[in-house]
Amino acid sequence: MLEWLIPAASTSAEEIDWLFTLIFYTVGFWFLVAQGIFFGFILKFRRRPGVRSQYIAGESTDEKRWISWPHYVVIACDVVLIAGAIAVWRDVKQIIPTPDETIRVVAQQWAWTFVHPGPDHRLDTPDDVVTVNELHVRNDATYVFELSSRDVVHSFSVPVFRLKQDAVPGRVITGWFRPTRTGTFDIACAEMCGIGHALMPAVLHVESAEAHAAWLGDRTTVAAASSESRS
Amino acid sequence: MSFLRLGVFAAAASAVAVAALGPPPPAAAQDVARGAAHYQLCAACHGDQGAGSEPRGAPAIAGLPGWYVDAQLRKFRSGQRGYAPDDETGLQMRPMATALRTDEDVASVAAYVARLPPAAPAPTLAGDATRGQALFAPCSACHGPDGGGNEALKGPRLAGQPDWYLLAQLVKFKSGARGAHKDDATGAQMRAMASTLVDERAMLDVVAYVRTLRAGEGAR
Repeated sequence: MLEWLIPAASTSAEEIDWLFTLIFYTVGFWFLVAQGIFFGFILKFRRRPGVRSQYIAGESTDEKRWISWPHYVVIACDVVLIAGAIAVWRDVKQIIPTPDETIRVVAQQWAWTFVHPGPDHRLDTPDDVVTVNELHVRNDATYVFELSSRDVVHSFSVPVFRLKQDAVPGRVITGWFRPTRTGTFDIACAEMCGIGHALMPAVLHVESAEAHAAWLGDRTTVAAASSESRS
Repeated sequence: MSFLRLGVFAAAASAVAVAALGPPPPAAAQDVARGAAHYQLCAACHGDQGAGSEPRGAPAIAGLPGWYVDAQLRKFRSGQRGYAPDDETGLQMRPMATALRTDEDVASVAAYVARLPPAAPAPTLAGDATRGQALFAPCSACHGPDGGGNEALKGPRLAGQPDWYLLAQLVKFKSGARGAHKDDATGAQMRAMASTLVDERAMLDVVAYVRTLRAGEGAR
């Protein structure tokens, strides 16, 4: 349902959207039922000539069940929703799958630096590709990211992944995602980080394996040429 | 006849209105006023008077030539400067420059900065100015023997710049964190020159010599 507003482009996004939909329809259904009963009673027990109003203490069983039964329903719905939330939280946050690739995300005032492993699929090797404000990932590949900050608290926010993770100075925070849709999407900082906070957007490119390999090849060549000219 | 009277009246009223409003301010003054408004953002790091701040990595920009400030802001906006992952302060400056939406905004800030009274930064580094004088010889071709700069050669004024900033820029030019963008022609020139300084000692010596220069102090 959230996809009407913003695409879902990762496995986590699909799960989170499922949970959102479950909550929306569960709560929405009972909201409409409650409002229907409420307005039905207002209509049924409206003022009529010759009918005196009465004080209802709610002591008889058939009166009390208008309170107790909805309580049981709320508890039953809570159990379903909390079970769903725990399942999604476990999948999205607690269990980090074995990655196909590990990337590094470094936040600073007011830019994002991304370190991609090169063709050898390993970080901290000479073929790493470092970009500023531009993240390239392969579709249908599992990525683990190591998130850190050079200065203050930032938040790595990728709305299409339904991903938002604070970057805390002095810590390396690990998370993961698995893209499910190719395209170009937004990355933003979601934690007020100073005067340039609004000016640090980055771009996420989710590419097919072939397109990603081509990009990586280009970048590796450029990086090699650049490091030769810089040395 | 009545139209004529009306016309005369309208012309007279317009003349009175124009006289009351006064002449429009000259374009340059408008630019500076607009620049002052935009400068509020810059002041967060560069200070109200453009004196800079070493802890923030912000150089003294007060009194720098307008053409140089204009050119650098354009480079930041286009990504010719502030592109390198290891250029932390450049990465910080780049988004701030993009907050200036138009070329006119950039020009107005440059005009405002150029009118600020130059700061007199205190020395923070130690170097051998005598040795630095010899090493400065190639630099003087573009930056002038007195470090006063040369607009025709796009060499900015160096005299009066904080020593820590000069050193940081030499290090960046040499490493490629600045000046290595394919479209940055003057940066490429400067990179070649920075590579002639073999180590940080040589850079410190040049910086120590630049600190002794007093280009155009009376003419600023």
